[in-house]
Amino acid sequence: MSEHAAPDRRPETETETDAGDEAALLATDVELGYAGLDEPVVDCDTVVVPEGEVTALVGPNGSGKSTLLKGLSRDLAPDAGEVLLDGRAVQEYGTKEYARRLGVLAQQNESPGDTTVENLVSHGRYPHRGAFEGMSEADHAAVERAMERAGVVDLRDEQVGNLSGGQKQLAFIAMVLAQETDVLLLDEPTTYLDLHHQLRVMEVVRDLNETADVTVCIVLHDITQAARYADYLVALDDGEIYDWGPPADVVTEELLADVFEVDAIVEYDTEPRIVPRRARTD
Amino acid sequence: MAGDVDGGLPSESTWRRGDPLVGVVVGGLLVTVVAGLVQIRFGAYEMPLGTVLDALLDTGVWFRPKVLATLLLGDGVAHFLGVHAATDHLSNPTFVVWTMRLPRVLVGVLVGANLAVAGAVFQAITRNELASPYVLGISSGAGLAVLLVLTVVPTAAGLLPVAASLGGAAAFVLVYAIAWRGGTSPVRLVLAGVVVATVGQSLQTGLFYLLDNKAAVSKAIEWTTGSLTGVGWTQVHVAAVPTLVVLPLLVIFSRQLDVLMLGERTASSLGMPVEYVRFGVAALAIVATAAAVAVAGLVSFVGLIVPHVVRTVLGGSDQRRLLIGCVVAGPALVVAADVVARLALSPLQLPVGIVTGLIGGPYFLYLLRRADPLTT
Repeated sequence: MSEHAAPDRRPETETETDAGDEAALLATDVELGYAGLDEPVVDCDTVVVPEGEVTALVGPNGSGKSTLLKGLSRDLAPDAGEVLLDGRAVQEYGTKEYARRLGVLAQQNESPGDTTVENLVSHGRYPHRGAFEGMSEADHAAVERAMERAGVVDLRDEQVGNLSGGQKQLAFIAMVLAQETDVLLLDEPTTYLDLHHQLRVMEVVRDLNETADVTVCIVLHDITQAARYADYLVALDDGEIYDWGPPADVVTEELLADVFEVDAIVEYDTEPRIVPRRARTD
Repeated sequence: MAGDVDGGLPSESTWRRGDPLVGVVVGGLLVTVVAGLVQIRFGAYEMPLGTVLDALLDTGVWFRPKVLATLLLGDGVAHFLGVHAATDHLSNPTFVVWTMRLPRVLVGVLVGANLAVAGAVFQAITRNELASPYVLGISSGAGLAVLLVLTVVPTAAGLLPVAASLGGAAAFVLVYAIAWRGGTSPVRLVLAGVVVATVGQSLQTGLFYLLDNKAAVSKAIEWTTGSLTGVGWTQVHVAAVPTLVVLPLLVIFSRQLDVLMLGERTASSLGMPVEYVRFGVAALAIVATAAAVAVAGLVSFVGLIVPHVVRTVLGGSDQRRLLIGCVVAGPALVVAADVVARLALSPLQLPVGIVTGLIGGPYFLYLLRRADPLTT
């Protein structure tokens, strides 16, 4: 398995036409970079996050997954191109208006250690409250729903500083859920978690997508996990989109060889199975 | 007062049963009152406690609004407002208490409250528990301005409060300008503060050499260490006006600080315009600091220690409770320290900043010695 045919890239026109209408997020010709770098970190023609689906961004370290997510979440203004949320440029939204439409869970989260889980989750209501308004009944109800969805109701009075890494992640997810947005972006929510909490996080995400019809875009480190939980995969390689589509089309031995630089065996039964063999050194 | 969590109606979560905040408030008030009474009782003109209380509760003051107004506002303002009354009939103790000692205690209260609250705000903004109200350059700006005035126009001591506030505010703006690169961050702000403080400090020290008489030097030292010697109602007025505006606003905006504590990225994804909020809150805290600096100079450690102590009691997750705690704990420290500053070496009066510094150092030693997560 040394030589590979050119990967079966989907024609970009198709991507635009079949998903453009129902795209929750649509990025066109975006270049994303950081001050002090000459080259953009991400340079993509079209990125589509279809409405009502779970889209996973995958790629090796440094491929630009998190940077692309920052561009989609308006955290990073693109040097070129534009990002649309529901057909409207993201810069046109007011800050709170945007936060009511799109929630983001950052890769690293912090809070004062003695914050209780319930208190933390209630911060998710920030975009729904005026500067001088207290928590309304609706706010309290949303906090309850979010804690139930994330499975942290039992932890409500616990201090965040006393939680395990996995519990903490679920608490922060509950905070983002309390925003009650149509679109949710998650940056590597399962990295560093034990297996139990990885699965719990992914189940929360899937449940949210299936029962509340929330559009999810999630950066995942683990390609097996991505293939298992996502409806669509966006594979990034060195800041560019290598392939886009349903997992069965995207996750191939070629992808693993070209993008992840591993020789692997990929099999599909009801779920994908990826067995990495060895790192490629060429 | 502001006993609510969100700017809305009071809710149980601010005042819980058996709440440590109640302890902090009661303890702080108790220390302030006791220290205040000691301060009023002793000194060159000494009087028994009974006389002190009689003077404080003198019906000749309280039941005669014009007399009260004249004492509080001063002859000039009282005349201007048409509420002036003669104060000759007042007894000596009443006169001493009302014109000299009470205003000094009140200035101590205002200075303590402002510095403590500003310190808590800057610790939240920079997410650094070792930040003080002076972290963004205000101390060097104010100190430099004071030294400049003393060297250039030594006779214009009356300008010092204005010079100190303006110098401090200018330094704050400079720090922000240096830190700004399409936005700021706590680290950039703190580093820019160090830049401005270092340069300001050097210039300030250099100017000391140009002071040509001992009076100017001790005036300069008084300002740069912080002193309440000789303050009166004028200083109460100067400090009270900004205090009454800024402290309630900061308590109201404290929820913004809670969200800011989650990190800028999270705060921004929750819909907070982080840069505006941070600048606005910092500017309010700078006004609070300037109010204290204008009347007392650069009192050290108060804005550093008080929020720290209050946080160890109340926790750091609710900035509103923390700020309310600081409003009462700050005055307790300053008024108590000023008792020592004024009476310990009587008739020599020390700058109160020396005493707060002497308390501040050992407090950090205590923190180091205690097995605390801060030090590990």
